[in-house]
Amino acid sequence: MIVVFLAVLLPGLHWDQGPEAAKALKQAAIERLYVPADQVTAWKKEGFDAQPFDAARYLKLPVPGVRYQMDLAAATNVPWVDANGWRFERGRAQNIDRRYYYSVPWHKAALAAAEAYASGADAVVHPDPRDLTALSRMLAFLRSIDGPRLPALANIGVIDDGSAETGEVLNLLARRNLLFRVVHAPDPTLDLNVHIGSTEYPKAEAANPAAFATSVRQKLTDEKRLVRVYGSDVVLGRLEGNERQIRIHLINYGGGKVEGLRVRVRGPYPHGTLAAFGLSNVKLGDHAASVDATEFTIPEMDVSAVVDLRK
Amino acid sequence: MYRREFLQAAAAAPVALAADVRQELPKYRVVSRFQPVAHPGMPGPYAGKVTRVHAEKCIDEKSEKADVPTVREMMAQGMRGLTGDTDARDSWARFFTAADVVGIKVNCSGAPGIMSTPEVVGEIVRNLGTVDVKPEQIWIYERFKNQVDSVHYDRHVPGGVHIWTAENDRGSILSYDPNTYVDVNFFGEEDTRSNLIRLVSERFTKIINVPNMKDHGAAGVTGCLKNIAYGDFSNVARSHSGYKTNTYSFIGTLAGVEPLRSRTVLQIMDGLRGVWHGGPFSPNRKFRFYPKQMLFGTDPVAIDRLLLDVIDDKRKAEHSVSVWDRSMTNLKSGYGYDDNPSLNRFIREPGHIEYASTLGLGIYDVHKIQARKIEL
Repeated sequence: MIVVFLAVLLPGLHWDQGPEAAKALKQAAIERLYVPADQVTAWKKEGFDAQPFDAARYLKLPVPGVRYQMDLAAATNVPWVDANGWRFERGRAQNIDRRYYYSVPWHKAALAAAEAYASGADAVVHPDPRDLTALSRMLAFLRSIDGPRLPALANIGVIDDGSAETGEVLNLLARRNLLFRVVHAPDPTLDLNVHIGSTEYPKAEAANPAAFATSVRQKLTDEKRLVRVYGSDVVLGRLEGNERQIRIHLINYGGGKVEGLRVRVRGPYPHGTLAAFGLSNVKLGDHAASVDATEFTIPEMDVSAVVDLRK
Repeated sequence: MYRREFLQAAAAAPVALAADVRQELPKYRVVSRFQPVAHPGMPGPYAGKVTRVHAEKCIDEKSEKADVPTVREMMAQGMRGLTGDTDARDSWARFFTAADVVGIKVNCSGAPGIMSTPEVVGEIVRNLGTVDVKPEQIWIYERFKNQVDSVHYDRHVPGGVHIWTAENDRGSILSYDPNTYVDVNFFGEEDTRSNLIRLVSERFTKIINVPNMKDHGAAGVTGCLKNIAYGDFSNVARSHSGYKTNTYSFIGTLAGVEPLRSRTVLQIMDGLRGVWHGGPFSPNRKFRFYPKQMLFGTDPVAIDRLLLDVIDDKRKAEHSVSVWDRSMTNLKSGYGYDDNPSLNRFIREPGHIEYASTLGLGIYDVHKIQARKIEL
């Protein structure tokens, strides 16, 4: 098998205030940023790696996070997670040079950067100025993660008709850590292929995306899932890897720290390391690998954690 | 239809008829490295035997203050009645030695209105001392810190006794054993595991279960089985959704997990106070009552079978619906149930006690239960 390494892509910073804010950015250890075209020269004079920002080239994304809607009658009390990973997957399958743009309120910049990085998306974040330090810390954390990107792992193929209904199905699959990739035709190497509109997956069923995602989960079976997360409803995972190693990106959309997270991945990986944003000296706990699966505990997690497992 | 709309529609849709609820049991997968011992703590050496001690003076109904000398005498008589010994110390020595690390599973879900009474717990600790179990080897434990903090057990036990909770922050899984759990998917929830408290699997050699006498909106009543099951595992509230609850089979399944089953060697039901509606919580004093009794045994099913009658008789006396009522017309979600004993929040599952008996956890048939009553 040919090992494919992908380039590491860090999210960029979009800054629309003038160079008079240079001091604040330097204090936040920001070096690279996207600015209005007529300010590029001025920012470069301040010592920054400044690039012109052209909004037309970017697809604006919803603000990631979680919403607790306790006053809403619902069949579940699981909070609403607003995540963009499925959009990145869909965009990747469309095979165009797509760039993404976040304009996010205070306390969301680090999450946006971590989300984009986990999916390997080419994204620019426009933060609330009060988030400069947090964003800078996140970028430093992401920069510190060793090694090149590996191919994304998924075992569900979804044939995407581009409709809103299918988009919501993709959203809910991602929300439930059912790892998929968008395919143009059924892929026999995957454990499950979902063709909305087929006899097995009628279009009418996709009108109820939650039930549809449940159906996909049942057909795949929990045993075959590439990743399971126990202990939180608001942490989503993304896997990349090859035959020797995997990397698990975990993103916490909840806004607060998660105390204790148990993760199960398919396959035997007796060796592992943990890098957790904002936390030092944290290690994987109760790491156990069997022929079928590997499990470990993350003792504490802020916005982002990256786990590297090796055979 | 997007998921928000769907969820709203699902919440408003008619639920299945109550009779359908138990048609098919969930598929449980129990994961534990512990093998059952030859003679597990539940039902233990006194299967089907319950000693009930009633004492009018044990609690003052107005102040809800327990009378320590009376509690002490109740415990002595209860333990002697259970074992047949003439000296209570001998009774305690049947269960515990100086080498044991003892967990006392209290119930604080209704605190500060109702909980394992501190004076009762203090007397248990004192008796453990009589058989040389050191304070440092005793752990009073519960799941939720905010509930236990309101009780102040520390004022009733010697220094050195541990007062410990599994979840200082609600939802934390760090104090649970990742390798001992029940995996079950009730309603399509993502986290399908309920893990055993780690102290139970890794530290305790014996456990004393100290439940209260309470009504329970989902389980019908909450006594020995519910306290040791839902009180020792994580992520259990997921067993209820809408009007449906899986307490019927989940309680017994959890209680039977090793090593919990083997190490829970003594049941002391604290019925000084009780709750006849709105349990397991007790924000409203008008639903508290005072059975003024304690039940002693090793068989959680037999004790809970007697509890069923205590709660249901009280509800009948108060002209409220029976714990056995499964009528859809009496169901009401959300506000209203807590203050109206003619309503049910869930389709109650008091049958969980009989179901537990089918798992070998004890004797349910009331005609086979040897219930002895002692009046002080």
